[in-house]
Amino acid sequence: MSTATTTVRGVEQVTQPPQHGKPGGIMRHLNLGTGLLTGIVFAVGAGWIVAALTPSSATTPTFAPAEPEYVYLAGLIGWVIGFMLGMGAFIGPLRWMMGRDLTHDDAEYMAGKDLGVKRYFKFTTDHKVVGVQYLVVTLVIFGFGGTLAMLIRTELGVTWSEVFSPEFYNSLIGTHGIAMIIAMIIAVSGPLGNFIVPMMIGARDMAYPRLNALSLWLLVAAAVCLISSMFVGGMQDGWSAYQPLGSQAPPGMLGYQLTIIVFAISTAIASVNLMTTILTMRAKGMTWSRTPIFVYGIFASSLMGLYAFPFYQYSQILALTDRVWGTVFFNPLYGGSVWLYENLFWLLGHPEVYVIIIPTAAVTLELMPVFLRKPLFSYNFAIAGIVGVVALSGLVWAHHMYMTGWAPAVNYPFMLSTEMISIPVGFLVLVAIGTFWRGTVWTRLPLMAVYALVFNKMIGGVTGIYLSDVPADQYFHGSMFVVAHFHYMLMGAGLFGAMGGIAFYFPKMTGRILDERIGSIGLWTAFVGFQLTFGSMFVAGLQGMPRRVLQFDEQFNISNWISTIGAYIIGLGMLIFLAAIIFSWTSGVRASGNPWGSKSLEWQTAQPVPLENFEVLPVVTERPYNYGVPDPYDEELAAEDGDRVEKVGAS
Amino acid sequence: MSAPTEETLFPTTGEPVATIARRGRVGLWLMIVADVAGTIALLISYTYLWSLNVNGGWAPPGARVPFTESNTGPQKADATWAAEWPFWVILLLVLLSTVAMWWSYKAVKAGFEAAAVTGAVLSTLLMVAALIAQWIQITTFPFGPSDGAYGSAVILLCASNLFHMLLVLFLLIGIVNRTRKGLISQDVNYQSQAVSYYMTWVVVAVLLGALVTTFFVESPNTDPAVFGTFETGAKSAPEAPPSPSATPSSSPSASPSPSAS
Amino acid sequence: MTATMPPPDAPEAPTNRPPSMHRVRNWMRRPYARWVMVLTVVIGFLLLPLCWLLLAAMNQTGAPASEIMQDIETTVFVFTIVSIPITAFVFAVLVYSLLGWKHVSGDEVPADESPAIRGNVIGATLWTVVSSLLAMFLVVWGLVELAQITANSYGTISADEQPGGKDALIVNVTGQQWVWTFEYPQHDGLTSDVLYLPKDRAVYFNVTSKDVIHNFWAVELGVKIDANPGAITQTGVTPNKAGTFNVRCAELCGLHHAYMETQIQVLEKDAFDSWVRESGGGRTS
Repeated sequence: MSTATTTVRGVEQVTQPPQHGKPGGIMRHLNLGTGLLTGIVFAVGAGWIVAALTPSSATTPTFAPAEPEYVYLAGLIGWVIGFMLGMGAFIGPLRWMMGRDLTHDDAEYMAGKDLGVKRYFKFTTDHKVVGVQYLVVTLVIFGFGGTLAMLIRTELGVTWSEVFSPEFYNSLIGTHGIAMIIAMIIAVSGPLGNFIVPMMIGARDMAYPRLNALSLWLLVAAAVCLISSMFVGGMQDGWSAYQPLGSQAPPGMLGYQLTIIVFAISTAIASVNLMTTILTMRAKGMTWSRTPIFVYGIFASSLMGLYAFPFYQYSQILALTDRVWGTVFFNPLYGGSVWLYENLFWLLGHPEVYVIIIPTAAVTLELMPVFLRKPLFSYNFAIAGIVGVVALSGLVWAHHMYMTGWAPAVNYPFMLSTEMISIPVGFLVLVAIGTFWRGTVWTRLPLMAVYALVFNKMIGGVTGIYLSDVPADQYFHGSMFVVAHFHYMLMGAGLFGAMGGIAFYFPKMTGRILDERIGSIGLWTAFVGFQLTFGSMFVAGLQGMPRRVLQFDEQFNISNWISTIGAYIIGLGMLIFLAAIIFSWTSGVRASGNPWGSKSLEWQTAQPVPLENFEVLPVVTERPYNYGVPDPYDEELAAEDGDRVEKVGAS
Repeated sequence: MSAPTEETLFPTTGEPVATIARRGRVGLWLMIVADVAGTIALLISYTYLWSLNVNGGWAPPGARVPFTESNTGPQKADATWAAEWPFWVILLLVLLSTVAMWWSYKAVKAGFEAAAVTGAVLSTLLMVAALIAQWIQITTFPFGPSDGAYGSAVILLCASNLFHMLLVLFLLIGIVNRTRKGLISQDVNYQSQAVSYYMTWVVVAVLLGALVTTFFVESPNTDPAVFGTFETGAKSAPEAPPSPSATPSSSPSASPSPSAS
Repeated sequence: MTATMPPPDAPEAPTNRPPSMHRVRNWMRRPYARWVMVLTVVIGFLLLPLCWLLLAAMNQTGAPASEIMQDIETTVFVFTIVSIPITAFVFAVLVYSLLGWKHVSGDEVPADESPAIRGNVIGATLWTVVSSLLAMFLVVWGLVELAQITANSYGTISADEQPGGKDALIVNVTGQQWVWTFEYPQHDGLTSDVLYLPKDRAVYFNVTSKDVIHNFWAVELGVKIDANPGAITQTGVTPNKAGTFNVRCAELCGLHHAYMETQIQVLEKDAFDSWVRESGGGRTS
């Protein structure tokens, strides 16, 4: 063992493993370009090999699917493996196995030291780089999903003819759904969880920097799988990909299945990383009662994702084997059950929505004290709300299955648990309202977005109550009412809140302030369009319009026209917001390290944030949200009490 | 390498190795949570389908039995269940491999580096044996993945075992190499510990699989409803759709024609 | 902003009213507290018409045609009313925060002037108690309603054992891509693609599918159940209004899911019997 030592983060004489070549080794030559190249080569190569080996349809045995399936599947797997290979994801495990450990210089290279812009196009481990990469990927996926939404609404708005074929339309709705779900899952945890959380807890990086980069590039690989599915017939099923309908879908369904299988791995790794970071790397003095609420929210979301995502992943693995290997898990003819699929799917499907909404709620509660200059109202209630949601999240899934007939007796307890979960969610609303209470409103974009969030959350939450009632669900399930409800929750509250959170942390992530005028115009335009689209969609649902249909009775025409007009307005608003992001990022007003006057640790870093965040790791001595002045009414009340006691005492 | 006088520091971050080790343990437990969830998903699939016996299709048929209106699926005598003993042999091999790995870890913690390498090598060989045994079991089942829900579920459980074993094999090769090189030593051995813990979970996963395949074999639903044939294959050409129905308040259609079912 | 207090030298009668009552009364004298209460009431009244508007939308194709649907409409009405107080309060706070409390705009970080309220025991307790009571009310309402509906329809009981089973009509509903077929086993297996039902008589549906998951939704009757391949699910209803109603498929089932609709004809008893006879079904009820 070499006796080379170096100084690491101020600690001298740290023994280093042998340095093989220049710092970074082979990683110096690997980047997004090599990843794409290797990915495409492997995809084409695997597909070609399989095409050569697969029997032609004339001799295909009964349960082997037609050749294009195998070729596309091989291509997908080849793409994922090749892309990760070309990015250098396997170098770490390989080096570990060979006993060639990273030196400090290696680690600094991989963190992107002195690489400039290039570090954003490599397997870079610095959490700040990964956060920015997540932001870009999120925007791309939103753009993709949003475009599909415009196409869907166009079809539904043109009520006098069919714009798209039923095949294409059925693919549109499923692909739009899964793209948006993926985008919303990562929207806050990705950019902000990665960039902000380590700084917020006073750490230098995440617990597993290389796994951090891995989770991001796996996501990119998965996103390509999803987009590729549109070119081979699409998935032609809802985003829930119910079987056995999925087995009738063209090969595009394989793209969906691979997307989920890979995305689940990415999510599991990211969850483990975030949770370990939060559990083990908080700064000295940051006890749990001094931990910012955003950290709690990210932790909770990661925990739910960790235990629930594997069920979704396995539901897709089983659907995949049903398709290409002839298993019969969801084939009733040979003993399979459609209810098995539904249960496996919804075991994730429900916690999923909390995975999406809790980070948004948490970042909202995090930014409110800064812009109202008073502490978070009842920090303990916020924690209780988050904990309550996590505890109940795994116990409510079958409310998506009230109408399936799988076990009518369990509809009762699931109705109970579903209603109960509204209580911890209500705690979060209480904390928000309490924080607004008597606060000085600093009318900046991040806080204005909170108004949109709370308004939409109330509508979404109340309509959820109707759906949680089993008899009422006998009318509403499978109708546009459900679609409007979850868009109010996930988009109305989730997305608008995420926009506020991104506007809040924009200065820290990019060094510039998000243009408030353009950003606000975009946000409120989208808000108005949102009310039109989904308010009107509630009406369509109440009238009795089923969901996932491309043509419908004349009575639903008016609701759909209004919804479509609203959708175009949303699209316009979102494009304006995107323009604000791009414009501000490239040439916006430069920000200081702490433009909002926040007392939280992440804002105490220099701007631009140095590679290792803090010169000296901070020590926390105060509870969070130390804003505001003593309540003048308190003095009065104390005086009154004193007076009264005196009066009563002296008689 | 003998134990140093001061605390050993991790090269890339300068933190004490003990801190890194603790961080690694937390992460490992969390990864195991995800792994457990996935294994539970497979076990749920197995037991749920076992309990339902949909269309009488749980048991793998001895001879391919076409499902018709009058056929109630394969009878007990026809069913070709998997032999039970291979599951337990495989479990034994995985268990022994895990014990060997624990032995290696304890040895290196006590300073016996040669014994640690021996233990890791032994563990690797046993895991290879388990892998081969599992592969042989899968390829020699008297049924295939399409032969009843049992066939699918058992094969997937075994495939999950295979996946676990391959992952562990990779880890063991790394442990052997690193112990040999002295990177795992009395001073720095948290990675041996982590692999030992993970392998212990793998033993549990294989055990659970062996338990369900031994004790949940014949379905308790001995009188399932039979549905005959389905058409769940891909449709080549969609039927021409009827025109979208007019608003329902219009006059009712003429007397219906009894349509063929 | 000062609390109303008697002048210091006026004699104050000793009181055993608890301090918290003083607090609540004095709190309610604060201007913002009053405004928020007023706003809550105003917004609540503005939201109230929703109760009727929601029902109007649901009844657009025709008023409810069964007790189940009437129950559902009552539920929607009641749940809306029950949700209004908290919703109105939340909206009132949002509105007042924009209109009543102080604002600052601009780039400079505002001075810390807001009261550092970290919690309020009375407020938080009140919220918890009220929201829990409301949630419990909704649960109990829902559980009772569900039990009633299940008692009147299938749930987990087979056709012969249903209450009133012997007098009920049984219809086997089969969904397949992309048509509905109804079979009347009590009438020599008479089949139809329009659902004919007699008025004021319980009907039980055995629902299944021949291929993928469909969902049998008798819209105005308020009845819905998945049609699963490999399973028979059950539901039931008693139509109490004659007329033409809709069956729609409410689960994506492939290319022409949108067209998988048919009609329900609820007929008076005699009309139904004559339809059965004319269609070649042997026995009548």
